[in-house]
Order: sequence, then structure tokens, then C-alpha cells
Amino acid sequence: MKYILMMSGKKSDFEGYATWSKQDLQANVAFMRAFSKELKDSGVFVSTEGLGWPSEARLVRAGANGEPVTDGVFPESKEFLAGYWIIDVDSPEQAYKIAARASQAPGPGGKPANMPIEVRPVLSGHADLGI
Amino acid sequence: MKYILLMSGTKAGVETYHAWSKQDMEAHMAVLQRINKELTASGEFVTTQGLTEPREAKVVRGEKNGVPVTDGIFPESKEFLLGYWVVDVATPERAYVIAGQISAAPGPGGVPTNMPIEVRQFATYEPKPK
Repeated sequence: MKYILMMSGKKSDFEGYATWSKQDLQANVAFMRAFSKELKDSGVFVSTEGLGWPSEARLVRAGANGEPVTDGVFPESKEFLAGYWIIDVDSPEQAYKIAARASQAPGPGGKPANMPIEVRPVLSGHADLGI
Repeated sequence: MKYILLMSGTKAGVETYHAWSKQDMEAHMAVLQRINKELTASGEFVTTQGLTEPREAKVVRGEKNGVPVTDGIFPESKEFLLGYWVVDVATPERAYVIAGQISAAPGPGGVPTNMPIEVRQFATYEPKPK
């Protein structure tokens, strides 16, 4: 069963991240690298990606002629996806355990950031939607 | 440049899908599949993934000893990721055009859903202060 683990935050959370000391950032990145390696070594790793900053995000809709209409204004409360992992595990419990590990990535001063990680099964195809 | 096109919605928004007729759903999916095919043909397709319904979502935190603490309660206003496309394109404008095509996919009665698609670049660098 494939699950996606999502890390999100408000623009203000991202801005807080930008104030971390170099040492704290390096410790966080080292943790994330070791975490990905653990996932690969245990055979559950499918993919991982980090996203660019929310300031670069655009919301796009189609105009009347199908041309893209872009907007860069979001509510303060908007949660931006910061990054994700996709894992292939035997049970939801295993997915939650791995998410808990990601949640413990170190923050400022090396303290676990305790970030909430959203966990969802992913669809293996459109058939899962009953179509 | 890799961009991710994110389609999201609230729980209430997602539930409206259940009211779509089979025909409308098939027409919608046919357009999305055509877009995937076109992106594959143009060499811009990287991957696409749909997620299960928001009711299956859990939020997880790790306790001190690493024990996962799960919670399935989210605010009504929460935007859940429904699915995404990753495309490899020459310019951000091209990513916006593709997002516009997805937004124009037909909804009930063949009327474009006009769903907002969030377009973000992938981080190809180490996270660093700006």
C-alpha cells in the first residue's frame, strides 16, 4: 500500500525556518538525508521531493479562452506543501510510525520540531475512484 | 525546470464529486488522460498521482520516544491535496498554461470546473535562508 507523507506550513512558518542558524539547518538536512536513506535501505522508499518557497507559488485558473489566469495572493492561513515522501508499506500503522520519525526531525537548538505530518493512501489508478 | 501542479479542495468540495453523473466523471477523466498523453508526447510529463479521499487522512506527530500520535480531525477549512502532476518545462509560463488546461477540464454538464491549480517549483537547492 502506497502512502504519501506531507509536510506543510503557513508562509510565516517558512519565514521562521529562514531564521534558523546554519548549524540548525545543517542538522535538519542531515536528519532528512539519513531518513531518506533509512527508507531506501528498508525497501519502502518510492519518492521524495521538496518544494520551492511559497513566495514563488501561483494559483492558476483557465480564462474564457483557456488562457491561464495567474494569481499570487493567498490567505495568511493557507497551508503550503513544503515537501513529501511516498512510501510503500504493509500497513497504515507502519506509515504512521515512519511519519512520527519525520515529525521528530530536529528544529532550532536540536529539539525535535514535532511537525505534524499528514498521511494519506495514494490511488494506484483511476480504477480506485470507481471509474 | 520542474514544477508541481497541485489540485486541492476542502472535504465539502470533495464530497460534491460524489454527486457527479458517471458520464460527467468519464468526460472529466478523459480530458485529464488526454492532457497526460499530450505531456508525455511533448516530453514534459514526469509523474502524476491521485490521493485517496480526505476522510482517510491522518495527521501524525512523534512523541519523545518515537511513538506515533495520530489524529483524524481537521478544520473544516482545511485544503486537502487531491492529486498532482509534475512537469518538466522550459518556463514558468508553460507550467501555467498546463495548469490552465487542467483547470478547464469539464465538470458537471460539461462546464469547466475552473478549479484553482497551485503551481510550485521544486526545490533543487539546499534549504537556505533567503
